[in-house]
Amino acid sequence: MSGLSPTGYDLPIYDYETPPELSGTGRGRYPVVIVGAGLAGLTLACDLASRGVSAIILDEDDTVGVRGASSRGICYAQKSLEIFDRLGIYPRIRDKGVTWSVGKVLRGQDALYRFDLAVGSRSAQPPFINIQQFYVEWFLVDRIRELGRTDLRWKNRVTGIRQDEDGAVLTVETPDGSYSLHADWVIDASGHASIVRHALGLHTKGELGEDRWCISDVRFRKDLPVERWTWVEAPFNENRAVWQHLMADGVWRMDYQMLPNTDPHEASRPEVAAARLRDQLGPDVEFDLVWVGAYAYRTQLMDDFRHGRVFFIGDAAHVKSPFGARGGNSGIQDAENLAWKLTLVLNGQAPQGLLDSYNAERRPAAVENIAVTRRSGRFLAPRTKVERMFRTAVMDLAVHHPFARLLLNTGRMCVPHHYGPSPLTTGDAGQAMPNLALDSRSLGGMLRGQGAGFLALWCPRDGEDGLGRALSHLSHEGWPLHVQGVGADDRRVLGMAPGEVMLIRPDLHLAARLNDADVDQVRRALARAICRI
Amino acid sequence: MRTTPNIPDPDAFYEALLDTHAGLPATESHALNARLVLLLANQIGDQGVLLSCLETARDTAAHRRNDP
Ligand SMILES: Cc1cc2nc3c(=O)[nH]c(=O)nc-3n(C[C@H](O)[C@H](O)[C@H](O)COP(=O)(O)OP(=O)(O)OC[C@H]3O[C@@H](n4cnc5c(N)ncnc54)[C@H](O)[C@@H]3O)c2cc1C
Repeated sequence: MSGLSPTGYDLPIYDYETPPELSGTGRGRYPVVIVGAGLAGLTLACDLASRGVSAIILDEDDTVGVRGASSRGICYAQKSLEIFDRLGIYPRIRDKGVTWSVGKVLRGQDALYRFDLAVGSRSAQPPFINIQQFYVEWFLVDRIRELGRTDLRWKNRVTGIRQDEDGAVLTVETPDGSYSLHADWVIDASGHASIVRHALGLHTKGELGEDRWCISDVRFRKDLPVERWTWVEAPFNENRAVWQHLMADGVWRMDYQMLPNTDPHEASRPEVAAARLRDQLGPDVEFDLVWVGAYAYRTQLMDDFRHGRVFFIGDAAHVKSPFGARGGNSGIQDAENLAWKLTLVLNGQAPQGLLDSYNAERRPAAVENIAVTRRSGRFLAPRTKVERMFRTAVMDLAVHHPFARLLLNTGRMCVPHHYGPSPLTTGDAGQAMPNLALDSRSLGGMLRGQGAGFLALWCPRDGEDGLGRALSHLSHEGWPLHVQGVGADDRRVLGMAPGEVMLIRPDLHLAARLNDADVDQVRRALARAICRI
Repeated sequence: MRTTPNIPDPDAFYEALLDTHAGLPATESHALNARLVLLLANQIGDQGVLLSCLETARDTAAHRRNDP
């Protein structure tokens, strides 16, 4: 499945089928409808299906990726890979993609700064894998079909929505005409230009950045290390920034910073792109351009990611510039966050109030991601002479002085958000647990399966400790909980003390960490984590 | 942020500061100052103190502009 031709990729085409509403067999009303089969929408559908929840997913297109364009996202972060591991597509991503952990910031030929994200990483998944976004979407579609719980409706374009207290009605256009679809819950995952958002009259605060970039995806024969290289001032790009990164099929992503007033058509003319590459790779390297395209980076943020019966995930809710790969990766985490909450509510195990915590947790994550990417953007495109002067000072000092290397900001790689202030968190927990490899299986492996369960890991005080038995009672009381005692080896990996309980959410975030715990404390923390108080 | 005296030999320091800039064209002096700010910031290494210093430096200029 190479799927690559010299000019682009051969993407799968999915069959359009006349929807039941138009062939007269429709049920009329459905619990969950997802608008948009991009990274966020597909992850949500797959996550729900893996938990036993059916959904309809509508997409205006009939393939993965953006037709006629190359890949947008290429870097997938550890947290996303852990989610994909739980969903069952991680092995395909690992086998197809490029695993990397070393990044360098260069000046000319010299590295000013080198980092290795594998240092200190404790997950069963690597810090990053690079792979074209459409492969991830493709694997998700395959998996969703395998799970067999989702109605994937291609060439179904949403053109309007209205809602009342009990649900929403979508207007959908197809090659056979239009129809209405009633849903208890709608999840808008239709990207930055969401029609759902417009139709509901909701605002998104945003700006189109001045900074222009031009992507060239290219294959060539030259041995380069599999590392992320960034130049702040590349001599082969008129002293502007450049990214160089490998993805699947031996395709390199080169991203060139342009002048703000650059004509995008001129910058992406094949001859112009080839001349840039020639300067970068040297005169003797043969290369094939796979795709060239110019972008202006944008920022957008909705005030509230929930509006009545409608939730917004991924780019529909928030958009940021690509520095640090925070766009797609945060949409994938939005999807995971909403999936377990919807599952508990639909299964009657948690009140609807739990769904409000989606906005309470994911909007601050988006705010943080936007702030972080803005800082990188400002470093890369100084607004004034003084800003440029400080940047030069940083680069000059970085040659000999380690402290200055940490000020070089060519993007801070995506990390999971810390849900410390979340209403679901007890005490100072909230951080994401890595997918630790434990004695019998990985932490994420313990959370796999139907429904959405929490995991209580408990560390016995002595042989007689009744804590485990008391905790097991909670599951019998109907709380969504698996209980697992930890052995000596795992105790060390987890850094747990006797009598301690770690309450881990279905998304591997820590809900509570209780010292010298008793069962009532655990029940309270669990009640808080699913809003059953 | 400390604003009471802390430099052991103020005159000698001041002289060294001027000597460091001696003979440099203005643009190079500015660049030197930028490097100096970063080096000194790393010596301080305390975010609260650094932010107070930034604020004080900025406010001081504002006061001067407002003087009759
Ligand atoms: C140059 C560039 C590089 C990037 N690099 C990275 C990276 O390395 N890592 C990363 O994580 N992210 C990266 N991103 C960001 C990432 O591509 C986006 O954040 C991601 O695609 C958002 O996913 P989404 O599912 O929210 O929206 P989209 O991918 O935009 O998907 C929306 C889907 O909705 C469908 N749709 C739209 N309107 C309708 C409608 N009315 N009815 C039905 N269907 C509809 C569309 O067909 C589409 O399938 C990059 C972005 C750019 C531009």
